[in-house]
This record gives sequence, C-alpha cells and structure tokens, in this order.
Amino acid sequence: MKRLLLILIAAACSAPDRGPHWRAGTSTTPHDGGTLRFSTKDTLRTLDPAIAYDDVSPPILHAIFDTLVDYEPARAGDPTSGLAIVPRLAERWEIAPDGRTYHFWLRAGIAYEDGKPIVAADFKTSLERVLGMPDSPFGQYLTPLDGAADVIAGKATTCAGIEVIGDRELVFHLANPDATFLYVLAMTFSAPLRADHLAAVGDQMYRHPLASGPYMLESWDEGQRIMLRRNPHYVDPARAHLARIEMLESIPSDTQFLMFERGELDTAERLTSPDTLWLREQPAWQPFVHDRATMNAYGIRMNVRVKPFDDRRVRQALNYALDKQHAVKLLNGGAVPSHGLLPPGMFGRDDTLAPYPHDPAKARALLSEAGYPHGFDVDYVTINDEEAEKLAASYQADFGEVGVRTHITILSVPAFASAIGRPDGPPFSYDGWVGDFPDPANFLDVRFHSRMIANENSNNVSFYANPELDALLDRARAETDRAARAAMYHRAERILYDDAPWVWDFHRAMTEVTQPYVRGYEPHPVWGRDYTSTWLDDKVPR
Amino acid sequence: MRGAIVGAALIMGLLVLAVLPHRDPLAPDIDHGLTAVGAPLPPSADSPLGTDHLGRDVWARVCAGAGTSLEIATLSTLLALLLGLAVGLTAGYAGGAVDNALMRLVDLVLAFPFLLLAILLAALLREANLASSNGPVVLTLGVVGWTTIARVIRGKTLSLARSEYVTAARALGGSPWRIIVRHVLPNVAGIVIVVAALGFAQNLLAESVLSYLGLGPPPPAPTWGRMLYEGRVYYRTAPWLSIAPGIAIVTAVVGFNLLGEGLRDLLDPRARGPKARPR
Repeated sequence: MKRLLLILIAAACSAPDRGPHWRAGTSTTPHDGGTLRFSTKDTLRTLDPAIAYDDVSPPILHAIFDTLVDYEPARAGDPTSGLAIVPRLAERWEIAPDGRTYHFWLRAGIAYEDGKPIVAADFKTSLERVLGMPDSPFGQYLTPLDGAADVIAGKATTCAGIEVIGDRELVFHLANPDATFLYVLAMTFSAPLRADHLAAVGDQMYRHPLASGPYMLESWDEGQRIMLRRNPHYVDPARAHLARIEMLESIPSDTQFLMFERGELDTAERLTSPDTLWLREQPAWQPFVHDRATMNAYGIRMNVRVKPFDDRRVRQALNYALDKQHAVKLLNGGAVPSHGLLPPGMFGRDDTLAPYPHDPAKARALLSEAGYPHGFDVDYVTINDEEAEKLAASYQADFGEVGVRTHITILSVPAFASAIGRPDGPPFSYDGWVGDFPDPANFLDVRFHSRMIANENSNNVSFYANPELDALLDRARAETDRAARAAMYHRAERILYDDAPWVWDFHRAMTEVTQPYVRGYEPHPVWGRDYTSTWLDDKVPR
Repeated sequence: MRGAIVGAALIMGLLVLAVLPHRDPLAPDIDHGLTAVGAPLPPSADSPLGTDHLGRDVWARVCAGAGTSLEIATLSTLLALLLGLAVGLTAGYAGGAVDNALMRLVDLVLAFPFLLLAILLAALLREANLASSNGPVVLTLGVVGWTTIARVIRGKTLSLARSEYVTAARALGGSPWRIIVRHVLPNVAGIVIVVAALGFAQNLLAESVLSYLGLGPPPPAPTWGRMLYEGRVYYRTAPWLSIAPGIAIVTAVVGFNLLGEGLRDLLDPRARGPKARPR
C-alpha cells in the first residue's frame, strides 16, 4: 500500500511531457506519400458538389473536385494571401470589355480519376444539372448566365448562356455584367461531371463522386470515416503529395484534441476554449499553431419588421449597449470587433468605420427617445453550441445594463435555421454569415438585399428592405471599374451601419494546430482546411 | 449514533451554505472575472474558489447550488414519500388482490433501471414547459423514487395490520381510514423518517446526475451537476471548476446517508431496512 502511494505521488509530481512528440520537419523538398489524418465533430452528409453546402465538406470536396479557376494557396505570415484567383482546369481566360462574355481555354492533359479526359461539355453538363436540381442551393449563383432562369423554372433543359466550342473551349454569356462570376466558377459545384457517370450512378451521386481534382474517394464508412487517395491521373504533382487523406467523423472537439496530442491525428481545429487556452501556454507548440482570419461575421440579427426592432433607435441602442470586447475575451482572443458584415481585408470594406463604441448611457437615451425608457423584455434565440451559449449569457448581461431584459432560448441547429428563416419566427437571435467567396456581394446582397427575402428559408433574415441599398448593391454588382465598385460598397456599409439591422459583434478567426512533421500547410481564408498542397515530413522523435 | 451527528453537522453546514450571503451567481463578469485571454481565474482572496468560464464566482455558485440542490431533493423526497405512503399503506392494510395489484405496479416501475427512467421522464417533462424551472426535475425524481418507500411501508403495514391492537380497533368499529391514520401511521413513522433521509441522499445525487446530463434546471441556474459538466473540459487549466462542485456533492450525499443510517439505529434498532444503494 505504501509503495502504491509512492508510485502515485511520483506519477503526480513528474510533469508529463507537454510538447509535441516529434521535432519540426527539416526536409527542404516535399516528400510524397503518407496519410494525413484529421477529424470533424459533425458528420459528412454528401459528396455531391451540387448539394454540399456546409462547413464539414470543404476539405474533402475541394480535394476531390477541381474547377476552372481556384484561389491561390494561403502563405504563412501573409494575412491577405489566398484571395487571388488562379487558373486550375482552365489554362487561361478572357473577359470581354463589356463584362458579359467569359471565354475559357482548358488546360491540356486534364483527366478524371478513371483516366478519361475532362472536356468543355462536362462543365455545361454539371452546371445545367445544378440549375435543373430543385434541391441544389446553388442555382441562384448562376442566374447571371443567359437562359439560366429558364432552366431553373423548368422551361428549358439546356442553358443558352453556356457555349461549348470543341473539347477545349468554353464561353459563358451573361445577361448583365457581374463582378462575382469568376468567384462563382471557383465554387465546388462548378466542377466538371461526365454525363455517362451521372447516368450510371443515378441518385447515388452523394457517395460516388467523379474526381477531377488531386484526390479520389477510396472508401466512406458513412458517419464514421472517409478515406481519399491520390488521383493517379492528376496533372499537378505539387497538389498531390499525400498518398491518402483520412477524415474521422463524429469526434467531439475535446476528444479531437486528446487524439491529436497522442499523435492519432495530424491536425486539430475548432478547439474548445480550455484546449485553446492550454495550447497558447505551451511554448513548444507555438510554431505549429496557425491563426488565420476567415471570411465571416457574427452578431445578433433583428427582424426589422417586428416591434420594437422596427425602430432604428432601438437597434442602434442595442449596438451601443453591447461591449464588443466581451466576445473577444470569451473567444480567447480569436475574434475582432466588427462594424458591419464585411470582414477585415475584404475588398469594398470601409475601414474608416469604427465599431459602435460601448456606451450604455447613449443606449438608454436612445431607448427613451424610442419610447422604451424602462427597456423591454425580449426572447433571444441561439443554437446549442458552447460558444453561442457563452455569448448569449454575455449579451444578457450587457443588455440588462440598459434595461433590456433578455430571456435565452436554445435550439438545435436545424430547428434554429428554419425558425429564423420565417418572417413570423423569433425576431431576435444569434446569426452568422460565412462567405462563399471573397466579394461584398456575397455578404451584403445575401443578408440585406430585399430580393433575398422569402417566407421560408429567407436568406435576408432581418427582413430588411431598403430601396436605396437595393439599387446601390445592384449597381455595384454590375460595375466593372474596381475603384467605383469599392466606393459603392463603402456607401452600402455606411447605410447598414446607421440602419443597424444587426447588432454587429465580431469576425471569428480560425486556429489550427498541426503536428511538427506536417509541412506546406496554411489554413485558407476561403476553404478553411485545405490539405491539397500539404506533405508529411519524416517523423523524428523529440 | 456518532455517524448521525456527523451527518447532521454536514447537513447543517449545507444549510448555512445555502443562506450565506454571496455574490450574484448568475451574472457573467467578463471584465473582472476572467484573465486577459478569457481564462477562468484561480482561487484567490477575492474569490476563494476561483471563477468559471463566464467569470462568475464559483463560491457563489456552490452556495446557490446548495439551495437549488436542497430544494429539489426536499420537494422530490416529499413527493416520493406521499406516493409511497399512499400506495404502501393501502397495499399493506387492504392485502389480497389490492396488495397484489399495487405491488406488481411497484415491480413494474422497479424493473426499469432508475437512471434510464429518470432520463426519459426528465426529457419528456422538460418539453412540458412547467412554471418552475425546478419542476421537471422534482416531478421526475418523485415519480421515479416512490417505489422503495412503498415497499418498505407495505411490509411494515402488513405485519401491523395483523397485530392485536389493530384487530381490537377493528372490532370496536373503527373505519379503515381512522385505523390507518391513528394506529398504523404512528407505528411506521420511524421507518418513514429513515427511508426519507436515505431517499434524500439518493435524490440529491440523482439531481446532480440529471444536471450533468443537461436534464436538470436549465442554465444559468446554479446546480452542482451542471457546474461539474461545464467545468469538466477545463480539467487541465482550471481544475477548481470540477473540484468545488464535486466536493459539495460528495459532502451532501455522505451527510444524508450518515444521518439516515444513524436515525435508523436510533428509531428502529432491529430494522434491517434497505440502505440507499447506488442503483
């Protein structure tokens, strides 16, 4: 018994090794081979690029599907890198001066996983499939194309605006100039698909992807694990160093980090708050922690049609009542306060605007002016998520200070999403927007243009309709002069700042930690986790 | 006997904790209760048990949690007692088919694993939107916990019903109601107190379990189980978040168990009644 006690004491005293098990990789040329392992707390629902619209699938789908154009890789230490468009399956392209014709020439030698060549007609097949699929969320992105609306409406099966010239040339005709169209072509749903493959797999497309990118599906144990392997017919060896990519599903965030520490995973992301705090205190891990600003905005969205949020003074008062440093602190520094929807570094953002200051006195004055000298009671609806619940408690305290008594309701994510997308749903709730591509149109149009208002699954969840803003956003989208376009978005940001359909809170940064032997990796501002340029160095024990 | 005194002392301590003045256990204090990077503060002179992930004082939450836990345990034990007494006395006194039917009902409820039934009920009742935030848990534990009490009381009543003074009372024309209240009940009182004290310990523990599973009073209500749940992920950076409510739960449960067993020795030295066993 005494000896056991001694062993226990010794075990408690000897500090366990807190650092990585391996030394930093030192090879100067990339190695080929190895399996990169990571995990997600959710489950992967589909591998069909026309359907997948979630935050679990990008690292997998971006490895399987290539598009005409893509984003440059992000570079360590350069926070603005990763947003420039580069050719991928296209070799080059020309945009006509009127901004309405996009002419692409395909790269030579590109092939699918089965070795058959990728031809121009396959892009038309895939885009027309998206347009004709009622359950695809992406049809609306293609509406700038001539004739796209007819395919969506079921009046046509082919899209007149997509012209195929031989095997290597592709021309897109737009009804109006649209500055976002190139970004749309970088979205995964624009990847080419062969008609005979689609016919062969039928409704099983969700688990039979046809790889045009550097990796192809090897196996998928749904809900458990997905394994990709290198596509032998891929043309660019710099994007296919790994032999395999493995993603484990349904691994809780805290388990993920334990597995990572034990060396069972090669990277870990979306760490819990205590894991983040612990990691930041370990000097040996710091060289392998990657921080990157990603394209998002979070805050509280208000239904501006509903009392008391129909009064702009109330909305501004809530903006003044919120202490934005609270969210920054609760998220352990992984956030920056916001003045609007556009994240720092994005084209069109008005950096001269400062976030609403924390000014409870002004908030109370505005509430009195609006006829609520004693504040009001309101339900705040949020999702069952560690961070969202912490923020709710903090909002409750901040708003309580100016007399707004907040009652918190917590909903599951699906219930939440359908509730806030209805005009008669809860008027005061958590909201966030994660951009599909780095352009203001993808932020401001989606959340605040009146054409995005719907009675079900509304994208404009504030039900905000402002003809002046609508006109401005429409003009900006069609504007081909970059400086003029930026000026229009500055104006739009100003309008939204003053009208405050949201309580603007913060932009969330992404933190990922990798094992020391993981090389060539940097989180991407658009894709998030993108392992296509990653390679694994020798594992040298420490 | 010594155990009973220790138990009573522990429970007194708990009561004192519950009425002790403390800081607001519900309001987050992000400005002062967290480090610059948002980590909970370790124990200090200002907050003797440190702060939690929202900067709330852990000492204040342990104190407030004592109130919540005692309230839930008391009300649910009373409910279980009421149900158990009604069923136990009826079955024991009436005997025969009534006894048989009621005891089979008890068997039926007992056949379900305690925790499973409690989780099911708690999940169902949470949707019921009861007025009090503690209501669902009280109802759950009361409805699940009455069976043991019913059984013990029924056994005792069965033997009392055949005793000479009950026969005499019956011969004198006493109504069953009068006989139960005047002659049977006082004689089962001792065992009822013992069973209640032990049931109390069990309900306290069960409340923590349900809260840990997220089926207790909804946040931000301070309950020890919930504190344990919220603190568990901080086991490396802020272990006080788990240690404080853990010690509180152990102390309270040990207190009520000691008291219950002490009372049994005191009131019913020959009884071989059930101890509160983990089920």
